[in-house]
Amino acid sequence: MKSPFSRRSAIVTTVIAAALVLSGCGNSVNDSAGEASGDCGSYAIAMHAWVGFTASSQVVTELGEELGCTITQTTLEEGPVTYDAMEAGTIDLIIVDWGGGRWQEWSDRGAVVEAGENGNVGLIGMYVAPWMVEKYPDITDSKNLNKYATLFKTADSGGKGAWFEGPTGYTTIGEKMVSANKLNFKVIFSGSEAALVDGFIKAEENKTPFIGYAWQPWILHAKIPNLESGRVNFPAPDWTDPAQASGLTDYPATPLIKLMSKKLNDANDPFTSLIKNFKWTNADQNGVAADIDGGMSAKEAAQKWIAANTATVNSWLGK
Amino acid sequence: MKVRKSYLLLASVTVWIVLGRLLNGTHTLQIATYENTAFTSYVGEKALDLRGNRTESTAFIYFFNPIRGVIDGFVQGIRNLISVPAPNSVIPIIGWLGVVGIVAFVVYATSQWRTALLCVSLLLACGALGMWQFTMDSIAMTLAAVLLSLAIGIPLGIWAGLSDRVLKIFTPFLDLAQILPTLVYMAPIALVFMIGAASATIATMIYSIPIAIRITSHAIRNLNQSPVEAAESMGSTPKQTLTKVKIPMAKQMIVLGINQTVMAAVSFVVIAALIGAPGLGKPVVEALIIRNVGQGFVAGLAVVFLAILLDRSTSAAAKRQSTFVPPTPKQIKTKRIILIVGGILAVVSVFMSRTMLWAAVWPKEVTIAPQVARITNNAIAWILDNLYIFTVGFKDFISYSVLNPLETQLAASPWYVTVAMIVALALIIGGTRVAILGFVLSIAIVLSGLWYEAMLTLTQTIVGCLLTMIVGLALGIWTGRNDRAERVLRPFLDAGQTLPAFVYLVPMLGLFGPTRFTAIATGIVYAIPVVVKIVSEGIRAVPHALVEAATAAGSTTRQIITKVQLPAARKTILLATNQGLIYVLAVVVIGGFVGAGGLGYLVIVGNSKPELQGKGLIAGVAILLLGVIFDRIMQAGARRSA
Repeated sequence: MKSPFSRRSAIVTTVIAAALVLSGCGNSVNDSAGEASGDCGSYAIAMHAWVGFTASSQVVTELGEELGCTITQTTLEEGPVTYDAMEAGTIDLIIVDWGGGRWQEWSDRGAVVEAGENGNVGLIGMYVAPWMVEKYPDITDSKNLNKYATLFKTADSGGKGAWFEGPTGYTTIGEKMVSANKLNFKVIFSGSEAALVDGFIKAEENKTPFIGYAWQPWILHAKIPNLESGRVNFPAPDWTDPAQASGLTDYPATPLIKLMSKKLNDANDPFTSLIKNFKWTNADQNGVAADIDGGMSAKEAAQKWIAANTATVNSWLGK
Repeated sequence: MKVRKSYLLLASVTVWIVLGRLLNGTHTLQIATYENTAFTSYVGEKALDLRGNRTESTAFIYFFNPIRGVIDGFVQGIRNLISVPAPNSVIPIIGWLGVVGIVAFVVYATSQWRTALLCVSLLLACGALGMWQFTMDSIAMTLAAVLLSLAIGIPLGIWAGLSDRVLKIFTPFLDLAQILPTLVYMAPIALVFMIGAASATIATMIYSIPIAIRITSHAIRNLNQSPVEAAESMGSTPKQTLTKVKIPMAKQMIVLGINQTVMAAVSFVVIAALIGAPGLGKPVVEALIIRNVGQGFVAGLAVVFLAILLDRSTSAAAKRQSTFVPPTPKQIKTKRIILIVGGILAVVSVFMSRTMLWAAVWPKEVTIAPQVARITNNAIAWILDNLYIFTVGFKDFISYSVLNPLETQLAASPWYVTVAMIVALALIIGGTRVAILGFVLSIAIVLSGLWYEAMLTLTQTIVGCLLTMIVGLALGIWTGRNDRAERVLRPFLDAGQTLPAFVYLVPMLGLFGPTRFTAIATGIVYAIPVVVKIVSEGIRAVPHALVEAATAAGSTTRQIITKVQLPAARKTILLATNQGLIYVLAVVVIGGFVGAGGLGYLVIVGNSKPELQGKGLIAGVAILLLGVIFDRIMQAGARRSA
């Protein structure tokens, strides 16, 4: 079934399938649904709590379905919850994982298989709202942060500057950065990406001070184009051992990884090779994510990107 | 006695404030979020072992994994029936038209045509909102959880109804299960049963079984005794009395219990999505992720419709039992003919939904979702643009005037001062036993290493409860004294109780930003309906004679409220405060998602960072301990004031 599933064939299949069920032939519960669709199996892919992830997942979902695979999307939490699900066989793919090796324990047990880099490079940092850089040009040097600490004071920061730390599950060393650099800031755990997006956008609109955790690739860069100018530079980005990170240092650049379940890895079908070949840039992810955030459905946004990047897509499909 | 008690309270609070100020900032037991105590890292290691053992240990192979398999299969079976394509098929066994036909028929058969019409309209509305499959998934999840809950809950409830000893053993567990915030037990359940439909079903059951047990045992206990005695005097065996007299007599009440069990299960529909349950929770959580209030509202609306549908169809069945006017032969005949015709129509619709695509899969063209989402987004955008200044002003006012001082008092005081204060309060309000319990549980929190975070959560809960009581008392008195107000507010209260807190967490975030107050405001919205309902009932329960006497004596309305109705309803109001506190606590912890910090944040972070998993699990226990301490103090206070 190379061609997209047309409406007519859907109707015909439905009628036949229904007729089969009605005539009592539909008893073989154990037959997997995937068998009917040729040489590609049925897979469940994880959907994590951020738009860029949706963008990446949707693109492989669309391509997988074109290959004739049955793809279901399951929304669930990042990290151990998903690795567990992969071990249990209910999830087959994490298209982009920031976990920085947290999967090691599962990978050692053979439950999770690394499928290479996905092309995105994760770059984390502390950012001030870009309007502040124009007004206080030296603010992006971490040594000057204390000079401006009072600007960032809120009702929740206990007399210090409010430092909005990243979402749960993300690698965060804010507490260490604050104490090691002797910053007069209080770390506030934003808890979710939505909270950070909200904070940056409000700050930029109302010209209120804001310092928060941000990263690349991220949807917010499409909404606040000069966000990158707000990156605060901390001394020497050397972070070889996360556990020993002194806090004087900034976050390292992390190549992001694709993770597969053992089942998907062993299947060696068209979807397996699609996943192994999948690789795109931060700009690609940001673009699709921006479309989704702008109100396009994930499906439309993914199809739009696929149509505009046939060469890349063909290279993934081995065409 | 009363005067002395309030003096004692005042004195201990004064001592507490003075000590807190003097020793401010010492022995606060604050540790950084990424730090583990010896205890939390031990628990974390154990959790790690548990996960590693899942394929090897006997407990998993012969106990947990089979349970998971059976429940998963059960849920999947129901989903294949109405929601997802059945094996070897591209459509579910029964398509949307068939479901509508069956619902219409069953509801008509068990109640009346008006309810049937309402239920069908609600179902079609869910479809028109573009949520057909999600709604069916939620129905499947609810159905599975309710059936299993009843299968366990009703027998246990009958047992507890017959034996005082059993009830006494059950009661603490039932109390506990109802205090327990849902966020807390999802992580341990997912640890054992992994994410997915099974874990979500079990988590739902923990919430709904206690209700089934309670109502069933209540039904058995509060029967009219004369038929029971008559049966016994005529020589019935206990078994005969139970099956032929007690259970049939308690039937109506038990059906009410089914209704309540269903509602409890429905309220779990959204949060269950956090552990991978299929259903309406998925679009709600996704809307939170991309901050699309409109989309969240569309999904939330479908949740409310589903809740009303299940409530009306099950409560109508319960009410029907109570009509004792026998229908005329003609009515019986008409009803029978309609039933037969309806039955045929239902069968035809099922058949059509299996043979025609348009009747099997909800047609995508029939949708009002984009319009609803757009209108909501515009409305919210307008509110945010125009009211942001006021909301931020109000937030800052509450933060500086109440939240910050209380937080300093609770969290920045040395732990032993605050523990002593909690014990003193428990002693004055609830007596020695409650004081001992409060002491033991507080020390347990201290030993867990999460005292500081617990105090942050407690601060938010107290402030939330305070604001809830101000609004809840006002509305409760109003609706308690005025039938019209009650009728007008009722639908909003019902909707507020069924609308999952997650749905309005997003707009709250827009109004107040990532702060503690966002969590508090969400908790308030969640807790107000229950407080209003309890207070209103309390005011209504005040004997008319009392109010009339006061009116005759020339009291003003204000005097009647403050001097007669409020004092007479005192116990109920204390209970309402207790419920308010528990409800606010349950939601404040979700505030960890929007910058409120505290124990809730630790629970959430523990789910996603293996190195903090132990800390997250312990934070869940600490939330529970906090809940128990204050529940016990308030309950004892309410008992004593009676």
